[in-house]
Amino acid sequence: MSYRLPGGALIDRQTPLTFRFDGKHYSGFRGDTLASALLASGVGLFGRSFKYHRPRGLLTAGSEEPNALVELRAGARREPNTRATVTELFAGLEAHSQNRWPSLACDMGAVSSLLSPLFVAGFYYKTFMWPAAFWEKVYEPAIRRAAGLGRASALPDPDTYERVHAFCDVLIVGAGPSGLAAALAAGRSGARVMVCEEDFILGGRLNGDRHEIDGMSGAAWAQQVESELASLPDVRILRRTSVFGVYDGNTFGAVERVSDHLPAPLPREPRQRLWKIVARQVVLASGAIERPVVFGGNDRPGVMLASAVRTYLNRFRVAAGKRVVIFTATDDGWKTALDLSDAGIAVQAVVDVRTEVAPELLACSKRLEIRVLLGSRVVETHGFQSLRGLTVLDARGHSERLQADALAVSGGWNPTLALTTHLGGRPRWGQDICAFVPGDLMRGMTVAGAARGALTLAEALSEGDQAGREAAEQAGFRAPLFVPGRADDERRAIAPFWYVPESKGKAFVDFQHDVTSADIALAAREGYRSVELLKRYTTLGMATDQGKTSNVNGLAILASLTDRPISEVGATVFRPPYAPVAIGAFAGRHRGKEFMPTRLTAGHLWAQERGATFVEVGLWLRAQWFAAPGETDWLQSVTREVKAVRSSVGVCDVSTLGKIDIQGPDAAAFLDFIYANTFSTLAIGKVRYGLMLREDGFVLDDGTSARLRQDHFLLSTTTVNAGKVMQHLEYALQILRPELDVQIVSVTEQWAQYAIAGPNSRRVLERLLGDSLDISAAAFPFLACAEFSWRGAPARLFRISFSGELAYELAVPATEGEAVLRALMEAGAEWGIVPYGTEALGVMRIEKGHVAGNELNGTTTAADLGLARMVSTRKECIGCVLLNRPGLLDPHRPALVGVKPVDRRARLHAGAHFLSHGAPVALNHDQGYLTSVAFSPMLGHWIGLGVLARGRDRTGERVRAFDPLRGSDTEVEVTSPVFFDPDGLRLQG
Amino acid sequence: MALDSVIVSPREGLGIATVLTRKGRRADLALRVRESLQIELPDGPHRAAAGEFAMIGTGPSAWLALQENGGNGFARALKAALGDAASISDQSAGYVVSRLSGSNVRDQLAKVVPVDLHARAFAVGDAVSTVAGHMNVILWRLEDEPEGSAVFEIAVFRSFAESLRHDLTVL
Repeated sequence: MSYRLPGGALIDRQTPLTFRFDGKHYSGFRGDTLASALLASGVGLFGRSFKYHRPRGLLTAGSEEPNALVELRAGARREPNTRATVTELFAGLEAHSQNRWPSLACDMGAVSSLLSPLFVAGFYYKTFMWPAAFWEKVYEPAIRRAAGLGRASALPDPDTYERVHAFCDVLIVGAGPSGLAAALAAGRSGARVMVCEEDFILGGRLNGDRHEIDGMSGAAWAQQVESELASLPDVRILRRTSVFGVYDGNTFGAVERVSDHLPAPLPREPRQRLWKIVARQVVLASGAIERPVVFGGNDRPGVMLASAVRTYLNRFRVAAGKRVVIFTATDDGWKTALDLSDAGIAVQAVVDVRTEVAPELLACSKRLEIRVLLGSRVVETHGFQSLRGLTVLDARGHSERLQADALAVSGGWNPTLALTTHLGGRPRWGQDICAFVPGDLMRGMTVAGAARGALTLAEALSEGDQAGREAAEQAGFRAPLFVPGRADDERRAIAPFWYVPESKGKAFVDFQHDVTSADIALAAREGYRSVELLKRYTTLGMATDQGKTSNVNGLAILASLTDRPISEVGATVFRPPYAPVAIGAFAGRHRGKEFMPTRLTAGHLWAQERGATFVEVGLWLRAQWFAAPGETDWLQSVTREVKAVRSSVGVCDVSTLGKIDIQGPDAAAFLDFIYANTFSTLAIGKVRYGLMLREDGFVLDDGTSARLRQDHFLLSTTTVNAGKVMQHLEYALQILRPELDVQIVSVTEQWAQYAIAGPNSRRVLERLLGDSLDISAAAFPFLACAEFSWRGAPARLFRISFSGELAYELAVPATEGEAVLRALMEAGAEWGIVPYGTEALGVMRIEKGHVAGNELNGTTTAADLGLARMVSTRKECIGCVLLNRPGLLDPHRPALVGVKPVDRRARLHAGAHFLSHGAPVALNHDQGYLTSVAFSPMLGHWIGLGVLARGRDRTGERVRAFDPLRGSDTEVEVTSPVFFDPDGLRLQG
Repeated sequence: MALDSVIVSPREGLGIATVLTRKGRRADLALRVRESLQIELPDGPHRAAAGEFAMIGTGPSAWLALQENGGNGFARALKAALGDAASISDQSAGYVVSRLSGSNVRDQLAKVVPVDLHARAFAVGDAVSTVAGHMNVILWRLEDEPEGSAVFEIAVFRSFAESLRHDLTVL
């Protein structure tokens, strides 16, 4: 049976669309929502309620819908709790009802409504108290199984999202009559205007009502305004866009549902786009939401807001029923009767709670032969899964049963003021419209039209025009005066009326959370007088719709039960987001590999060609090892690389280490201040190893610094700490020693730097550099550095060694990096030069007992690491005071040691804790832990570095390396941390 | 928001250096910049250019100096010209500078840069040090194309260049 009527300009009858709901095929038109298309097909039942599994239909025709929540789409794109009322119909749409089993019509969960006397407010608090031990094991799992609405897809989201930063002079929230008038006034001034409208067409109520503006239909006027706005260069109209939050600094969050009205996003289009809008001025023209009346059986499918009935009728040309009753406390409700009657739908009666209404209304109903019941109320509805009839109690106390398949309810209009409360504004009670209206506003915000409580079209147009003009002028534009659109005055009388005390059966306040008037009464009896507590105790307004249709009724009932005026009870405030936003939209494109950017070295391509396996170090990708043909195991590759370096020569990309230029007359004094050891004595052309402390005395970072000129040092940091050290230096310079004339800047990216290590490294470099630089042992000793010109570019050479071998680091402009690597490999071919990665680098530094990130972990002091002698006592440096705290001088502190497994075949695991022999496995017997381990190719067994209590005095002792995580317990021997070449002879080559 | 109308062209061969004034030497530096580069040292986040040279304010007492085709010899020459009024560091290889043009350049930049780039808010010659999706960038606006579309240049550290290109073109 079709409920579609002829006519209508806002649906495209030339474009029929077929879709499926619960597996059954239906069809609608372009311009329909899922709700209007189903309603047109005679579907009234959309879902089951949250708690009692009651059959539910449409309450509204907009984003405030609490009932008609469906699962949209399938597979990875399945989205639960999608409001059918705002879901734009597309061909092939697939939706399912939720919260029912096995089917919507026959839902076993509905038995829970038989237990409804149990499910009262505070049910969980009252019921699951005893025995306490049952909470975690029994109650909570059971509740979690029963709770929740809809099923989320557990599959990865196939869609993309993006974020946009936008700026404008005037942001207009809502494109109903007041928003359009505001946009026009502001846009004509030349101001940058953004208009955000959550619907897919502009016009708001103009599309749902029969209005006339300037002699044309409201909908046509909206289209005309839209085309003028589109012609203005600095006006941007965003449809399908909800402004969901207000943040500090005049910042607004909005989500644009770019592709939600399509089967799948178009290529290269995101599903949703998050707009961060910074607006000088904002005009809130978000309209108002009609509220229902609380009466017995008010949730039965077929009971609908009167304005929604008009929207389905006028915009979508769908009749909500064949025989309709109107139940109203407002003049506005009568409009529905007139519209329906004009469309040829039988209006059985207008039931108005007021004993007197305007004579025009009575005359009109008489003309249309509509029965009027004044001073009456609906106390009960009849039917099962759809409305069949209702019982009216009239002024004299007589009950009468009326036949109806739709009941249009009008309790008044609540301004949509959520955005005025996000920064702490409190709504105030507007007695004349019986609703809350915006209270204090943030600076730069004005509210116009229905959102302010000005409920007639004429007011909306003139207020919008004025607000738009003033906002533009506040933003510095001159807004010319135009005559705003003219509309006739409307009647807007209302009686304050919230609920029918004579109700029979459950009377719902919050449809989505199944909160009834009885729940509120119970809460009031139990002493919940505060609205905030009422909200939490009953869960009123805490569902996904944030109580858009329920809050005011709930508060009004509480007020009357506690004998207070509503203005005294106050209102709960709203928190962002006003409308649901996919989490993906907040993440934008920053997910997976795009979570953070990737930093690539100049030699990345070369390393790829050489078969490198990369490891993420901070944001960098570094070559971890280079597997040679035939190698199947990383340890095999790493061992080969180490042996090649120690026996001949290898090259390692060390470009990722932080490099900071330190210049200025006071550069040396600054380095003395930030390093524990002294740098002012360093000669030009020399490099020194430096140790940097935090203010609290612990080690921050280490690295070498080279003196290039009297007033120019180059400081190096570890890869991971490059940013942190730069920050530390900026702080030291700007805050601690602002008197120093020093300039610092990161030059990490300027230089590609390569370590050439091994006994043959000098030979390779001599071949490579030719006459550019004398690197003979005499001319270029250990810790020498030089700047020189090579291959037409500046170059630098440092004789430093992390591996313990004769070694150099060659720096060239990053643009030359790849070519230099290739040249190095060519020059070293005769000596079988190998590229080596960070693993081999790590193995060699462990063999040499050099500390690295694992040891510089924020808990170790210079003394712990055996570097106490580096801390100069003849000068002041960051950390030098707190370094001498008693706790840091304690001789029992864990200190750096080396360990070898007693059984040389045993493997070591970093993280294993040291325990003395015979000591119980307990935290208070912990003696320290293994920080770094490696298989030493030179020694042929595993070795490790660690920190051990009184470690330096315990060489030769045997302790347990106990690792409960990996289940190992290895006896180890404490040794010097330097395993290989303890006298450092190899440095000289 | 069609993406095809954004053109990203890397600038090759630029000489790039950071210029940081030494203490109390700003006037001195301005004088030397005027004499050697014929540029009025910009105050604040702006770009000033003359001939092949440009100076871009990137922070308090900090500029990025550029020379068309200056390559990695530029920093040395600049140091000679400016003497000890400033500390100069070569960044010719450190930064990758790309020119961004096309009718959609502002919309595309709005996805990565949290800065108002509207013609009235960000004039020709304005510059900004900001972030583009976790990456530090320096962005400045050049003269519009003859047909009226905006032209920007963006500098990012070399290791990030591929990620930035991806953000500006693929997304």
